[in-house]
Amino acid sequence: MNTGGHIEQEDLALYAMNGATPAESAAVRSHLDQCPACRAELEKIAADLSLVAMSVDEQPLPEGARQRFMDRIAAAPEQKPRVEVIPIASAKPTRRAAVWIPWSIAAVMALVAVLLGVGNFSLQHELATDNYQIAQFAADSQHAQKVLDVLTAPDAQHVVLTAGKAAPVPSARAVYLASRGGLVLEASNLGPLPEGKTYELWVIPSNGSAPIPAGLFRPDAKGSASLILPDLPVNVQAKAFGVTIERAAGSPTPTLPIVLSGAAPTS
Amino acid sequence: MQTNVRMAQAASSAVLPCVSLMTDNSPNPIPSGFRSLDRTPEESRDADAECGMAQKGMALSEDEQLLDRVAKGDQQAMGQIFDRYSRMVYSVAFRVLSDSGYAEDVLQDVFFKVWREPHTFLKGRGSLGAWLAVVARNRAIDALRRRKPTDSVEDVVLVASTNLAAESERNTMIEMVRKVMKALPLEQQASMELAYFEGLSHSEIAARTGDPLGTVKTRIRSALITLRKALES
Repeated sequence: MNTGGHIEQEDLALYAMNGATPAESAAVRSHLDQCPACRAELEKIAADLSLVAMSVDEQPLPEGARQRFMDRIAAAPEQKPRVEVIPIASAKPTRRAAVWIPWSIAAVMALVAVLLGVGNFSLQHELATDNYQIAQFAADSQHAQKVLDVLTAPDAQHVVLTAGKAAPVPSARAVYLASRGGLVLEASNLGPLPEGKTYELWVIPSNGSAPIPAGLFRPDAKGSASLILPDLPVNVQAKAFGVTIERAAGSPTPTLPIVLSGAAPTS
Repeated sequence: MQTNVRMAQAASSAVLPCVSLMTDNSPNPIPSGFRSLDRTPEESRDADAECGMAQKGMALSEDEQLLDRVAKGDQQAMGQIFDRYSRMVYSVAFRVLSDSGYAEDVLQDVFFKVWREPHTFLKGRGSLGAWLAVVARNRAIDALRRRKPTDSVEDVVLVASTNLAAESERNTMIEMVRKVMKALPLEQQASMELAYFEGLSHSEIAARTGDPLGTVKTRIRSALITLRKALES
């Protein structure tokens, strides 16, 4: 695939046509991150291929197609989500994503309300004497704001991590904002863990360096778990995310197999 | 005036003879009041006849303005985008799926996605028509191969190097591509057909045709080179 440090034209074309395997695509993407020449070539190939698409013989639209479309948008005039959601490997991604985003924002708003309420209560009673509480309140608010920023930032990446196709499948959705080192993970249908084990999330950097541990989590009885703003370095571009099962204290390096994984969309 | 600036920038990305008149990145020797994009619509039509440049800028900008209106929930604007590009999107989907029902599903989904997420198409990343054609192709291949939608690859839909917003320009280029594709050696045509309209990987094509993998790759590379040469000439 890689000759003289560059990707061959036909492999770029295969990538542009979505014909590459996930592993090949990941390799192409990580090369493109560092190679303006290959990015430029890919752009040209994509432009050429778009003309190939447009050069198909014209067909008349089926009767009533326009009316069906106009009826459909008239029935769905509500405000659209502003944050783009890019789900991977889920059966009905668009619909599920649309439900998920307002839900998560509502949940975070509730969290913010609780934090502000708690903070305010503390301040009323102890403002004069307890500077520690003020600092705590500020930190809490800042934390909540950071959560909101990560969830709502237009440049946040949204990735679904799944294990397979059978329903209900274990799945997780990661929202990652590299510029702030912010990550929120929401997992569901997770299998129960053996005694003394935990799930661990990994950020797989696109520059090829070692996976970064991104927090431990254990599912509740329904198999749900979440991970809000684990301690992560800032400005690490992620190629993918993975979840492994580790000993209860966590591990500095992932232990195979990867039980859930998802590739980050290229930016 | 702000709109004019944006149109000028959009136009400046096109590789066309009149480009230097519109490039706003460097000090423009022509006073702004005399640039064609600052003219009244009547004057602009005259300018189009001379140059064709302003028209391309206008057309791209029109799509962007329509998308901005769609973002505000304007159904009429969405209808206009549908009228402009639905036939092409449907034709691409039909070419891949050979079934009017499935092709209409793709058509409806592609435009509904534009309605729900109009900013998925990034301004300055090429023409909306070309982007929609590629998204339609990708969705149709997904449907053909019954696999999950490949949303992430929409980011890779890059058509910025060619401004195809003006219909005359677009039709010329498309006509050229039709001719080039039909003039390719048959085995190159077959390889491109399997790769682009059936979504097969190189190794899947090799398995299907019984040709060595290297031969398949060479055919696709040759087809792409022929196409590029024709478009650049």
